Amino acid sequence: MSDGNVTSGVDERIKEQSRLRTALIRPELGGICGTIIVFALFLLFAGDSGMFNSQGVLNWSTVSAQFMIIAVGACLLMIAGEFDLSVGSMIGFAGMMIAIFSVTLGWPVWQAIIVTFILSVAIGGLNGFIVVRTGLPSFIVTLAFLFILRGFTIFLPQLIERKTIIGGIRDAAEGDWLAVVFGGKVLTGLFSWLGEAGMIATFERGTKKGMPVVDGIPMLIVWAIVLVIFGHILLTRTQFGNWVFASGGDAESARNSGVPVNRVKILMFMFTAFCACVFATCQVMEFGSAGADRGLLKEFEAIIAVVIGGALLTGGYGSVIGAALGALIFGVVQQGLFFAGVESSLFRVFLGLILLAAVILNTYIRRMITGER
Amino acid sequence: MSEPIIQMKNIEKHFGSVIALAGVSVDVHAGECHCLLGDNGAGKSTFIKTMSGVHKPTAGEIYFEGQPMHFEDPRDAISAGIATVHQHLAMIPLMSVSRNFFMGNEPLKKIGPVNFFDHEKANQITMEEMRKMGINLRGPDQAVGTLSGGERQTVAIARAVHFGAKVLILDEPTSALGVRQTANVLATIDKVRKQGIAVVFITHNVRHAMAVGDQFTVLNRGKTLGTAVRGDISPEELQDMMAGGQELVQLEGSLGGTV
Amino acid sequence: MFSTMKKMALATAVAAAPLMMATGASAEGEKYILVSHAPDSDSWWNTIKNGIALAGEQMNVEVEYRNPPTGDLADMARIIEQAAASGPNGIITTLADFDVLSGPIRAAVDQGINVIIMNSGTPEQVREVGALMFVGQPEYDAGFAAGLRAKGDGVGSFVCVNHVISNTVVAERCRGFADGLGVDLGDQMIDSGQDPAEIKNRVTAYLTANPETDAILTLGPTSADPTLLAVEEMGIAGDIYFGTFDLGDEIVKGIKSGVINWGIDQQPFLQAYLPVVVLTNYDRYGVLPGNNINSGPGFVTKDALGKVEEFAGEYR
Repeated sequence: MSDGNVTSGVDERIKEQSRLRTALIRPELGGICGTIIVFALFLLFAGDSGMFNSQGVLNWSTVSAQFMIIAVGACLLMIAGEFDLSVGSMIGFAGMMIAIFSVTLGWPVWQAIIVTFILSVAIGGLNGFIVVRTGLPSFIVTLAFLFILRGFTIFLPQLIERKTIIGGIRDAAEGDWLAVVFGGKVLTGLFSWLGEAGMIATFERGTKKGMPVVDGIPMLIVWAIVLVIFGHILLTRTQFGNWVFASGGDAESARNSGVPVNRVKILMFMFTAFCACVFATCQVMEFGSAGADRGLLKEFEAIIAVVIGGALLTGGYGSVIGAALGALIFGVVQQGLFFAGVESSLFRVFLGLILLAAVILNTYIRRMITGER
Repeated sequence: MSEPIIQMKNIEKHFGSVIALAGVSVDVHAGECHCLLGDNGAGKSTFIKTMSGVHKPTAGEIYFEGQPMHFEDPRDAISAGIATVHQHLAMIPLMSVSRNFFMGNEPLKKIGPVNFFDHEKANQITMEEMRKMGINLRGPDQAVGTLSGGERQTVAIARAVHFGAKVLILDEPTSALGVRQTANVLATIDKVRKQGIAVVFITHNVRHAMAVGDQFTVLNRGKTLGTAVRGDISPEELQDMMAGGQELVQLEGSLGGTV
Repeated sequence: MFSTMKKMALATAVAAAPLMMATGASAEGEKYILVSHAPDSDSWWNTIKNGIALAGEQMNVEVEYRNPPTGDLADMARIIEQAAASGPNGIITTLADFDVLSGPIRAAVDQGINVIIMNSGTPEQVREVGALMFVGQPEYDAGFAAGLRAKGDGVGSFVCVNHVISNTVVAERCRGFADGLGVDLGDQMIDSGQDPAEIKNRVTAYLTANPETDAILTLGPTSADPTLLAVEEMGIAGDIYFGTFDLGDEIVKGIKSGVINWGIDQQPFLQAYLPVVVLTNYDRYGVLPGNNINSGPGFVTKDALGKVEEFAGEYR
């Protein structure tokens, strides 16, 4: 549809907008700017510190991917107009459930993973059901679950195993087909070739001498990419995506137009729980143990990534790609500060500044889009 | 005159001991704009809510296209083709015009096993429908928040029409608008009427009603004072009927006929 | 074009300068990174920070302290990986959870980085990850020794106030103590949380509900300080047998006034200071002590408080 066939003339009150401006005003802009600035800064200050060799890149990509996985869920939920503060506790809980099922009860790992996923998604659904049914703010309901789930995560292993960290999952997961989907690595062939060709660092001693230090892309990163693509397409290219926007923008209006707002919200709570469970499963499969303190404060990290990515705290506006960029910024800053040799306690200061800058920029962009003053 | 599309016969509605409607009869014809006038508290809102299925009448009958109708809830009315554009517009400011236009009725395109939102089609239809209503959008992805109040009304009306409304109930669409925007909305009403859709236009502004109305029904304290056809009644008479008579005559005299 | 880029770089540099303060001194050559498992809020690790700073200064090497802000061990694993990627001469870290941390540590070792385990870990685990040595206090043994001592003083039952319930290594202290006493740990370990008011109230509640409790064992200043207040408020200060792990200002005062019978000092200063010295000498001259170094337990009682009091919270 080109402008050429507009017959009745252009409304003189609509100001001409330059193409550049039109291209710029999108929810991801803050995230894109932030990403460029952050990378420029670290290239400048930590370019030769190992941050950009194969191992360094893998390090901050993995951390960013972790944030991305939970940010996708948090982003869609926030656009649908709700919060989930129980994400961090859900990570701890899901990890602990896998450990209890597979190590304590001795189930096969694939079965433990599937049951844990069902359990987590059901709890997410319960979260959503309570929010939708009671009309209480999701802030309060999920805050309750933050404590409930964390409480169980500490209580259950103490009750059953008399300790708060359950290990030995790696042995249990040996040869398990589903465990590989979360804890395995892909492109290992490519990396060993790169190592042989001397393009990436290899181990200097030990049993793995000569093998590349980075021997593949962890499934964690694959999951992050898959979830980001899925979330982005769901949000922008499907009917359901439109409903997500509508539910968060104005639930009453959406209902009047026939959008099943309650169903949308509950499904988004379930999806958020699913993402938390993916996070937990990847972590447990990689590290081989589940601890009661896993995932502490992760809900806020997810929300920060989403907000840096341009989503509106009040719902109805945002972008999954933006949230992914927010997660990338978060991960790069968190790990990059170490590389740059900055006192680690200043990380929070830096994070706060970035958050503030991103929110101010995003508010400005949103005003341009919506024309509000 | 053709068969009325909606006939409301002796509608009564009681809320506990309060009699909101005490026997109101109105006929609405396709392709005509039926103005429902009345001061605040006259029972206009109750009446249109009865028509759109929100309230069930305590007594009286509703005929839709000649058949007696009993709406259980607003959905029945909507699927029958009775669309209401509320003052609360069911528009989401942060979303684009085309996303709003198709909210709840998204066009789908099948790619492989998955249904996708057909943005191309949605954008095309939106631009077309809006142009029919005389509004040139910057683009289909323009946010509704950037539109003026009148334009938003028009989007809401265009949406209802596009999704097959036979009867369009407009609840005070001009009450909060400026002169120019009001004119736009009135022009939209005119266009909709010409497409053969029955319009029920609720207002308490006689001049707005006179501008587009084909028939005029005045409600006062839950009763009709009868329906008049265009040309049979003057604005002054309408004003009198709305106010319930005498006192406004004196008031109007002192204000020089400007009310 | 080039000059504009230079200007921009300069501008960013100026803007970021306050945040870019490197921790290490301007030492050339060796760089050592200490990765702890403690959250930012844990004040006990301050001694560790001071310890490596002093060692770095004395040995003229660059040192860095890093920790997961929330104490999440999975985050700590990432920090170890990251520390390895930045290519230091050595890494000093803890083995708070063998499952989580062994992978990254072993990878660092295999990359040619010397690793010393401090504070948490067992000698077997340390050998298994390929670290040079262990500097710390074997927690179970320390608890066991304390239990024997308490048994000798006539203690038969106790309550263990655990403020880091999720740390298995710390909980070993309670198990060791129970075994030293020759009693079953059972429900005698309480999860006190980290908040001082909560700790105080939980200790009070426990002691009210179980008035026959002979002794209190706290696992660090975080739980000891509020517990001191609790026993004073209940009027049993000096009456109930009170032992604690680790030292701090309040604990030292408590020992001095006789409310606390003894404190077990694992001498964190040595856990930070010695690895830097050992690593530097190993890198420079190839010399290495032949065994693990036990930095504790050392029992601190009323009689030996001089130096402790002087440097409590700083180096003690």
